[in-house]
Amino acid sequence: MTLPRAAPSAGSWSGRRRITWQRSYAAALIGVVLLVLDIVFSGGTFSSIQALGITNDALPLALAGIGETLVILTNGIDLSVGGIITLANVTVTVLSQHGLGEEGIIAAIALGAAAGLINGLIVTYARIAPLIATLATSSIFVGVALIILPLPGGTVPGWLPGWASGSLGSLPVSVIWLALLLVGGWVLLHRTRFGVNLQALGGSETSALSAGIAVVRVRILAYTFSGVFSALAGVVLAGLTQSGDPTIGAPYLLDTIATVVIGGTSLVGGVGTIVGTVLGAVVLSLVSAVLLASGLSTYIQYFVSGGIVVGALLVQTQMYRLKAKGSARRRQLALDGAGPSAA
Amino acid sequence: MTRIRRSYVRPVEVGIPYVLVALALLYGAATVPRFLSSRELGSMSQTAAYIGIIAIGQTLVILIGGIDLSIPYAINLAAILLTGWQAANLAGAPDLAIVLLIGIGIGAVNGIGVAIFDVPPLVMTLGMNSVLEGVALLYSNGSPIGNSPGFVSTLATGEVAGIPYVVMVWAGLIAIVSCVLVFTRFGRYIYSIGASRRASSLSGLPVRRTIVAAYALSGLSAAFGGVLLAGYSGQAYLGMGDNYLLPSIAVVVIGGTSILGGKGSYVQTVAGALLITVIDSSLITLGQSGQDILYGSVILFMAYFFQLATSREGRVPRSVTGGLRAFSGWLQPVHSPKGRVTSPTSEPRLERAR
Repeated sequence: MTLPRAAPSAGSWSGRRRITWQRSYAAALIGVVLLVLDIVFSGGTFSSIQALGITNDALPLALAGIGETLVILTNGIDLSVGGIITLANVTVTVLSQHGLGEEGIIAAIALGAAAGLINGLIVTYARIAPLIATLATSSIFVGVALIILPLPGGTVPGWLPGWASGSLGSLPVSVIWLALLLVGGWVLLHRTRFGVNLQALGGSETSALSAGIAVVRVRILAYTFSGVFSALAGVVLAGLTQSGDPTIGAPYLLDTIATVVIGGTSLVGGVGTIVGTVLGAVVLSLVSAVLLASGLSTYIQYFVSGGIVVGALLVQTQMYRLKAKGSARRRQLALDGAGPSAA
Repeated sequence: MTRIRRSYVRPVEVGIPYVLVALALLYGAATVPRFLSSRELGSMSQTAAYIGIIAIGQTLVILIGGIDLSIPYAINLAAILLTGWQAANLAGAPDLAIVLLIGIGIGAVNGIGVAIFDVPPLVMTLGMNSVLEGVALLYSNGSPIGNSPGFVSTLATGEVAGIPYVVMVWAGLIAIVSCVLVFTRFGRYIYSIGASRRASSLSGLPVRRTIVAAYALSGLSAAFGGVLLAGYSGQAYLGMGDNYLLPSIAVVVIGGTSILGGKGSYVQTVAGALLITVIDSSLITLGQSGQDILYGSVILFMAYFFQLATSREGRVPRSVTGGLRAFSGWLQPVHSPKGRVTSPTSEPRLERAR
């Protein structure tokens, strides 16, 4: 006996959209709690310097996280984010040392785009699993970065620190960038053909193919965007530290995935928002700030950031499981009700 | 009596990496003086043994369809605990046993997260790695102390008749792991779950228990690797496991074990460990950067090779120019009617539909 499929109700898309957005509320809520904790730990005050520290930490995380979100939405993963950050970081600082400031930034972003494009081509045309492909290319990118700059050093263009991590009055510049990323990310994902196709592809590749979406092209583009955003993160980090470092990207492997997961994006693709990812980046840097303010050992940081990402995912999978159980039950009830009359 | 054909271990796929090992040895012999001397071969086999032992667990976990990224700090924590306890005068065989048990415990937690709470393995083990890094830092307070116990150092560096002890241990482990994978229920469950977790579950296999056991064994082999590395260098230092994450995955992939699970064997991983070690030794002037690039390139090359060789559809990938051509139209506006037309590059491959 073939069971009748439940007809898609008029509200099904809005329901799906509601769930997508609900997942990022948690990040906002945790963010507020952490902000309060931070204020409590630092004696009831919240100075503009504190805000500057938090948003300056959050900006590179948000940039790298946005790229990772795009790739994860396609049901892939990009483990070369750290490698591309490193590559861009050393490119900017070494070229700036040779007097090529602006050219260095353009070169770094172009390199990031090329690196992402290579990832995309390998994943789609060589059909190597994204995990292996990007892990391997990451190793290559780090190797190239070590050739460009074997030891920490280099300089940055004089205007870069101000643009990446300065303040306008008491407003951190990074807040403006984060706000722009929020709006830009929303537009990219929900108001362009690329973004809509990307979500469709992550939801179901077969359906996306049947609907005539150029799946290969969308996927390659997602990896390319990831490369560009990671390169931007590397440039921002150069502005923040005012020098280059061939190991700067390593922690971003875990941190970008943590950012994406906290932002409510599903690791199996199709469900997630860039807005959530930007919030996730702020949450993660608030965690560092709270730990710093609480006076605990800095080693706790590793413990907590590992625990947070696993915890966030645990909550996500268990919530999803409960929801799936609920809807399966409802469907079953509906069938039981409709079954006899239909037969 | 009819026997089920074990199609998951194919002679050709096992043979190819070994042929490449032989070619790499010939290349080394032609370019590096005294490359095939017993001394050089002994040191190469020792290096391969460290990677090979650490990769036992990674092989099992990848075969079952997962991945273990917590290996670096499982290695590091084991080494730090072992030398730390030696400094506290607790040295002895019980210490070693406890360190190995802790390794099993770390792996079991990974396995429980993956099998029971459905956390994706990538995130579970990456998070675990960070947690273990925190534990290692807190325990050692940033600077590990102590030396490795004498018998561990002997095990890691000693040799008899030109054959290092660790290579003998490795040979024993190769035999045990291969037999377990081929002849025991546990081994077959691993292949079955790797091929299809759902089908295995519906067939009544103990899926969760097997996954937890595979990750626990991965923790065990990483901890044992950490013990050996501590014995090798005589002490523990922070970050000593970092250089083993990529190799542990690389040797599995280079051997031709599918990253998607269900296909491959430990014998192939052994070939991968030998291959990467021989290539590494024959290119003596490689620095850290060259090594990074080498590992990445070899992984990509071998993964592509096996992808072509074992692809079910057996189709040759379309040309790169075709891929670049596909970009010409992506800037079309959202509501263009042309956008709804299926372009030739996106023809549906419906045979992959579930």
